[in-house]
Formats: sequence, C-alpha cells, structure tokens
Amino acid sequence: MSHLDKFKEMRKGLDLVQAIAEADRCLLCHDAPCSRGCPADTKPAEFIRKLRFKNITGAIRTIKENNILGGACGVLCPTSRLCEEKCSAMFKSQNRPAGADRPIQIGEIQRFLVEHSWQRSVRIFEKPEPRSEKIAVVGSGPGGLSCAAELAKEGYQVTIFEGRPQPGGVLRYGVVSYRFDMNFLEHELEDVKALGIKFQCNSPIEGKNAAEKLLQDGFDAVFLAPGLWDAATIKPDGKNIQGLFSSVDYLSALRDGRFEKMEKNIKGKAVAVIGGGSVAMDCIESAVRLGAKDVYLIYRRSYSQMPAEPDERIEALEAGVHFVLLNQPLDYVTAKKDRLKGLKLVRTRLGALDASGRRRPEEIAGSEWTLDADVVIEAIGNKAPDESPEWYPKVDVDGNKLIKADPETGRTSVPGLFAGGDIVRGPALVVQAVQDGKVAARAIKEYLKQ
Amino acid sequence: MVNNVDLSIDFCGVQFKNPFLLSSSPVSNSAEMVARSFDAGWSGVVFKTLNSDRLPIVHPSPRMHCIDYGSKKEMAVQNVEMISDRSLKHNLTEFLYLKKNYPDHPIIASIMGFFTDEWVYLAKAAEDNGADMLELNFSCPHMCIEGAGHKVGQAFQLLEGFTAAVKEVVSIPVIAKMTPNITDMNEPAMYAKKGGADAISAINTVRGISSVGLDDFVPTPNVFGKGAISGTSGPAVRPIGLNFIASMAQNDQLNLPLSGIGGIETWIDALEYMLLGASTIQVTSGIMHYGYRIVDDMIEGLSDYMIERGVGQISDLVGKALPNLHETEAFDLERQGIAQYDMDKCIGCGQCYIVCQDAAGQAIEWDAESRRPNLIEDKCLSCMLCKFVCPVPDLISHKEMPKEWKRQETAVMDSSLEKDIKYEPFTKEGPNECVI
Repeated sequence: MSHLDKFKEMRKGLDLVQAIAEADRCLLCHDAPCSRGCPADTKPAEFIRKLRFKNITGAIRTIKENNILGGACGVLCPTSRLCEEKCSAMFKSQNRPAGADRPIQIGEIQRFLVEHSWQRSVRIFEKPEPRSEKIAVVGSGPGGLSCAAELAKEGYQVTIFEGRPQPGGVLRYGVVSYRFDMNFLEHELEDVKALGIKFQCNSPIEGKNAAEKLLQDGFDAVFLAPGLWDAATIKPDGKNIQGLFSSVDYLSALRDGRFEKMEKNIKGKAVAVIGGGSVAMDCIESAVRLGAKDVYLIYRRSYSQMPAEPDERIEALEAGVHFVLLNQPLDYVTAKKDRLKGLKLVRTRLGALDASGRRRPEEIAGSEWTLDADVVIEAIGNKAPDESPEWYPKVDVDGNKLIKADPETGRTSVPGLFAGGDIVRGPALVVQAVQDGKVAARAIKEYLKQ
Repeated sequence: MVNNVDLSIDFCGVQFKNPFLLSSSPVSNSAEMVARSFDAGWSGVVFKTLNSDRLPIVHPSPRMHCIDYGSKKEMAVQNVEMISDRSLKHNLTEFLYLKKNYPDHPIIASIMGFFTDEWVYLAKAAEDNGADMLELNFSCPHMCIEGAGHKVGQAFQLLEGFTAAVKEVVSIPVIAKMTPNITDMNEPAMYAKKGGADAISAINTVRGISSVGLDDFVPTPNVFGKGAISGTSGPAVRPIGLNFIASMAQNDQLNLPLSGIGGIETWIDALEYMLLGASTIQVTSGIMHYGYRIVDDMIEGLSDYMIERGVGQISDLVGKALPNLHETEAFDLERQGIAQYDMDKCIGCGQCYIVCQDAAGQAIEWDAESRRPNLIEDKCLSCMLCKFVCPVPDLISHKEMPKEWKRQETAVMDSSLEKDIKYEPFTKEGPNECVI
C-alpha cells in the first residue's frame, strides 16, 4: 500500500469475531448509560445486546432505524465523551481492579455492524406507501440527510438541494480520508438514496429570499441545514496570499479533484496550522502524512485548553507536529508576488477566565517574532456567510447569523421552515446534526398534519 | 516446582507418580505423542482403543465439531472419532517403545471387541506387550451394532460376560469404562464388578448434537451432508461426570477404585473429581484445546493446594467431599438466608436488578438516579442469581438470617379473584413415595 493509499483509505474496523468478542465484554446494563449518552438516540445498548444474542440483522436494524448515518457516527463520533463515557465496563467503583478501565468500543461495534450490512447487502427499509407531501431539504450534510431519510422512510417526497457538486456536506468535504474515506461515504449515501430521496446537486439555495421561496414553489415544508462553510480569518484581505488556506479550502481540496495540487503545496514545505480544535488536528495530521517538512500548530492558549479531543492531540504530537502554544498570530509575511514567507506571532500568557471558562490569552508586549512558513492553514472556526440572512429574511438569526430554532422541534420563526445542524448550533458534531434532522423530521410531520 | 508433597497414587496396585492420565482418544494415538505427554508431566496413558484388525477403521471427515460460548472457544467438543485406525501390530510396537523408554509410566490398554474371542484376543495381546492395565471400552457413544461400545454399557449381561472373559485370561488389573448415556451408572458398574473388574472409569462422552446447519439443515459435524448423534465432551459435561463418579463412590457395595473423566482442564477440576471419589483422572478435551502443557499447572496447582492445607498425600483427599454429599431431603430448611451487598464495590450495571425482576423474587429496587440496586431483604429468595451475574467479585454474598426472620410470601396479583377459584384443599393421606 503506497502512502497515498494509506492517506485515502481509513484503517480497517473490527471483524465479526472481534465485534462479538467486544460485545461479549458488555455487561448488558439495565437502563444503560451508553444509550443515554448518544445524542442521536442510536440505542447502543440495544444493538450490542442484539449482536450478543446473534441477532445481527436486528442489531443493524436498530442502528439504521435510529441513525441513518450510523456508520459515519461510529467512525467520527468522539465516543469517549458520548456513549462510552459512562460505560459500566470501566468498573468505575471505589474498587476498580487494575486494567478495568476500558469501555466497550461502542463506536467500533457500530461501524462494524454498518459495514457488515453492506457486505451482506442487508436492506432495512421497505419501500413505503408514497405520500403526496413534498419537503425540501437544504444541504446534504448529516443534518439534511438525517431529516430527509426520516421523512422518506414514511413516504414523503423529499428533495435535497446541495450547493456543491456531490452530496455529503462535511462528510465529503470536511474530513480527511484516512479518518473517513470516500468508499465508506458512498456506501452510507447508498443507504440514504435507497429511500427514494431526490438529490439536486450544484443547487445552492442562495440569493434573496431563496429559502423562503421554496415554500411558494410547491414544497410543504423546508428543512435548512446548509452547514457553515465560510472560514474565519485573521486577515480578511489576505485572499491573494499564495500559500494561505482556510481549513475549509484545504480539507475540501484533499477530497476533490484538487488533491494532487494540494499535495504538491504541502510536500517538503514548512506548514503552520492556526487553531486548537478537531479541524486543526485534521489539518496538521494530514500535512504530516502528505510529507510536510515541518508542521507547526499555532495556538494562543495552552495544551489543556484546546477544544480538540485528547486522543487527537496525542496523535498529532506522536505524528511529529510541533505544538507552538501560547502564541497569537498577528499577520503574514510575504515575499515577491504575494508568496507566503512567514507568520508573525506574539507570545501570550494566560490571564483571568473568559466567558468560555478558559483562561484568556494576553499578549506579552515586545515578544513578537516571525515563524518561517511556506503554507499556513487557518483552522479558527467556520461561520455563516455574511449575506446568508438575506436568503431567509423572515427567519430570526442571532448575532453570529446563526438561525434561531427551537431545539425540541427545529422550528424557526417562519411556519414551515425548520433548521438544524451547524447553521443553528455553530460548529458541532455529526451526531448532533443527525439528531437535529430527526427532531425536525418529527416536527415537520406534526406540522403537515395541521 | 513444588517438591515436598506426594502426588503419587496407587490405582489397583499400579503406581502412578501423579493422578493425571491421558484418556483413550486422539491425544493418546501414538508413542510419539504419548512420549511427549510423559515428558510434559502426565503420569500414565490409556492408549487409544486397540483394533483387532478384523474390520478396518476409517474415520469420517470431518470428525469433530465444537460448541463455543460467546467468544469463549470450545465449551464442548463433539466427535465421531472411532477406535484406533492403526494396525494392532503398530500399536503394540508403540507399547514396547513406551515401556522401554518410559518404564515408570504405566500404560493402560483400552480395548473393545464385538464378541468374547475378540475381547480375549486383544486383552492377551495387550498384556503380552507390556500393558500394565486394561480398560474395557463399554462406552464408545457412536457404535451402532448391538453389543458394541456404549450399547454394551447398556446391556448389562454382555458387560459382565466380556469382563469375566477378559479377567480369566489376564493377570493385570482391569478397568471397565462406563457410558453416561444411562440413568444410574451403579447398575452396570455392579455387573462389571461381578465380572471381576478391578476399577471403574467414567465418563465416556455424552450422546449429543453440537449444532445444526441453518443453511443445509445438517447436524454437525457435517460429514458430507450427513450428521449423527455422537459424543459430547469438554467442560460442559463436567457436572455429568461428577454426578456419576460421586454416586458410584457412595455405593458401598461397589467399593472399587474410580478413574474420573469429563471436562477436566485445571487442577481444581481434577481435585473436585478426586474429592468426590476418583483416585486418578483422565483428560482428552482439555488437551485437544490447550495441549499437554496444562498438566504442568495441574501438578503445580494441586501441590500448592496441598502445601497450603498441610496435606502430605494426595490419596488423603480422595473422597473427602463425600461425607458432605446428601440427598436434598437432608437439608436444614429452618436455616434461611439472603443475599448481601457490599455497595462500595458496585459499578451500577443493574444486571442484578434485571435477573431479580425476571427470574427471582423482585427483591431489588433500582435507583435510576444513582444507578444502584437496593435490596428489599424480606423479599430475597437467596437464589443468588444476582451474585452469578454480578461482574464484581465478592460484591454479593450469602448471609444467614436470624431464626425469627420470615421471608415475605409472593404477592397475589388480584386477591379479589379468589372468590371465583374452583378448588378444594387436598386432604388425602398417602405414603411419602410414588405409587400408582
């Protein structure tokens, strides 16, 4: 396997024997904490029990009925702070025996079962009686797919409008292949497509009143889940700098036709990534894998304040990333033709707690310095496009232009218009978007009954 | 290695340096194998059942299957293994090799015939070529001819007759190996004794079916589209073996040395057979799973147990549990107890609650907030199912309650229906035994 194959394919998951052995370790808890810990109510306690009692198709059915993106969630969820967090198999008691601190690998079992369903061509859903109601879903990321699937399962006529050339949203354009590969994505999309959903790609719902207009164009309800695709930047006028990328651009390029070009940009170069979240971790680790000479992670606070998952941080350190902590980026240094040459930084110290409950970084006067870098990737957060409120002018948005939606139903201020995923929550997990889609689908059905 | 205890044992006048023997099976098929087992520590062998060469032996293929429990492999093994498929000449030559190279490791020749002359012929041949003892195979579970294998074990006159015929022609001790496919083993064992048997070994495999193919409907092992009821062995049959050994050991009329067989893998398994009356034990399935090396742990484990207990001679342990083995009617029902919980150890899995709800006395309340069980002592049946499912060792134990303590009766769902029942109390006197 070449290093590029390794980059483009995720590691193998459990096989049947391993999955059964893992299910065997499960204590089959009463009122299981794992099921309580799943934001999308995927019911891990139920599918693990089913696997344990050799009801494998049933286990797959539990996952797919509750979470149409059960495979993606099994792979991408930070399970250690969700389903696995309170797993009883960790023996969290005053007398925990040595070594008994391993939760059941629930994410791995979930991934196995979904992959197994593809291997065995298990079909979970029957074709439903078609219904007349038409629903538009804006965005084919986890939130949109989940809502669409939930409705299509019951025969509603669902059309997904996707701005990009291919469906999947963040699952296609926002993750790295060695974590979640195209083959896996295509399989999972097949499960959604099989429900009879219409996909309309290259169809962004943008422009004045575009979203609300769908309601006038014959759709009985609309679910807005376009995600957040505009990148925050420290230099809004830096678009012409050669070698400066947003994480959105960089990660998308690794998943579409621009891969080779991006690989050339990175290979042998000094790469700096700004940010401390999971996206920044994906950027740095992928840069290492693509053969960057040096990869720096620039973060203005300290290690323990990073929002990235602990295992991601450790993996990045192990991969050889240089963590440049307590440094605030100020500006870019360019050479001829706007070619990026370096990153101007100032050292920080941690002061008092800020609103997020973390200590605020304060710049240390006179400590400016320049880090030589050929490439900088900004991974400091995604945001809603500035003009996005115009696409749905009657919908209430907050100061960050995020849509205000009722968390119980996904209802917005406009009847018939529902919303979920990152456009409501801000940057959040795939599994949370899945749940938003389910919740909204339920509310849409209620709404259509009236 | 532990030195200062004596594991050696006398079995029908033959000395074994420890009680651990290979039983007659694939694990004792050749001198090469048996020699390695002796090197590993096994004290003796019941060599795979000799064939007189009258009928050729061809093994079915595949010849075994196994039963797993969850991800635990080989809870039981299923076999349609036959007696030795090697010629008598080869097998006897193997005896000579073993006697020459391992003179202090007794060889027990297992034999099986169809009629008296064949039994006698094989018995003589074995003795003449160095066998220290004979084991008469009255128990091979997949013979279909009347008068062979376990069919003999179920036809007591034949069993007695074949034993007597063999005893008449040999001077070495003779063991009769019993089939468990019978209700009471004491009956055939007494016939064997009448025929002159010097000892009893038990059990051979239990007739069973390991599994059935769900696609082809063929029971396993699937021998090219055909299955058969055949012999089950391994840890799953150990309780059956212990039952038969104990009941024969309690039989004063029988009063013969016993060799225990059935699901032995560890020194504890072996010791339990001995405590219930076996003076040697034999192993096959454990070796089929783990190899000869397990005897190392049997020897060391049993030795350490004896040192801890101050037992110098292994023979002192034989039958040690028998005085405590009673009919259930002997139980003191005045004394009652309940389960008790050491809650500091609880991890909150709630399995105790589930089994108590669905299979016991509904004596546990579940606190969903703290994820902890709360035992209502007066409802506890002391079945101890909660202890069996509890993943934490020693969290739950049994404790005796004071004499005046009373368990709550199981509540009647709707006692208002009592007025509608059709019923007269039973008042007839009768004997405390079954009569028609």
